[in-house]
Amino acid sequence: MVSARKFPKITIDQERCTVPFLCKKCLQICPTAIFSVHGVKEERLKELDPRIDGSYVLSAQRLDKCTVCNRCLDVCPVDAIKIQVP
Amino acid sequence: MCWYCEQYGDPEIGDGLWYLNPYNHARNMYKLRMPDEAFKGAEVAREGRQTDISIADLIDAIDEGDQGKYTRVQRALQANMGEGGGGQVVPLEDSDKILELCSPLGLMACHCRKGVRAIEERSELEMTCMGMGVGMLKWERWPENYKGGVNFLNIEEAKEWNHKMDKKGFVHILMLFGAPFIGGFCQCDYTDCYAIRRAVDFGVGPIKSHYVAEVDYDLCNGCGMCAQRCQFGSLKIEITTQKAYIDQFTCFGCGLCETGCSKGAIKLLDRTRIPALAEVWR
Repeated sequence: MVSARKFPKITIDQERCTVPFLCKKCLQICPTAIFSVHGVKEERLKELDPRIDGSYVLSAQRLDKCTVCNRCLDVCPVDAIKIQVP
Repeated sequence: MCWYCEQYGDPEIGDGLWYLNPYNHARNMYKLRMPDEAFKGAEVAREGRQTDISIADLIDAIDEGDQGKYTRVQRALQANMGEGGGGQVVPLEDSDKILELCSPLGLMACHCRKGVRAIEERSELEMTCMGMGVGMLKWERWPENYKGGVNFLNIEEAKEWNHKMDKKGFVHILMLFGAPFIGGFCQCDYTDCYAIRRAVDFGVGPIKSHYVAEVDYDLCNGCGMCAQRCQFGSLKIEITTQKAYIDQFTCFGCGLCETGCSKGAIKLLDRTRIPALAEVWR
């Protein structure tokens, strides 16, 4: 059901956040599990190496669950996450 | 009867339950070789699919306060799930029967936990997903999808794993890879599993099982074990009566409360025989 509340906007600086699957700090600290990490491509006979820059991409999927607790900002080692409160 | 049983069940086999119809486990094998005629029904429905929508659009609709858009996107996603990537919750007893029908059974790492919490299940002991059917024989072609490899199990080993996971408190879900082919059998919980989370939050995802849990108040001692095991927020202990209370309209019929109850105070009832619940599949 639609609510009147506006959700926060989260932007992730992909230039800074290069190895999210290796770092995984925001993914594991988020109390409401709003983040998602996925490989950039599925290739035949090839496994992605999480240590290689840009092999995985971080996204903030469940904005409806973000409480703006800012824990991800505190824990991010490269300051890649920005949260805009509506 | 659920949508899947209406389409893919055989009244002669397994009480008409679609997932006990062996044909649905074997279809992928014949996908390429089957004459056009046999596959027409599913293909026609798939052509009408709106593929450019996702959960993100649903969240946008809530953010924009657009009820019309929300309903439209939700319906379209539900239709897509029905045809393609959906599935159904199944209780332990039924899932054991399914394991007897499928071959091969390959234990693998969970995709959802990898995505949501960046958890890598690298050993057989940690793995919570099972790939089913002949598609699994090609797993080595897509190593990224099967990080940690695949451990093929026989029926007895698979059942043992299933029971172990049930004890831990995981919900058993059948995953469709193009209806009606059942390609996966997952052990899920809320938040870690994309499917359950979507189903609970938006009504988009695997549908509820053919069962609904009910408490026998004479046997319940209020220990609360069942409340810990419910992944759908449908079960609590009433403080005044000190008995378990189940909201049967939100109950997914996974049966975890039943298998976790040491007093045998919870029973699974046939959903389709309860008038107000017979059509509650979301």
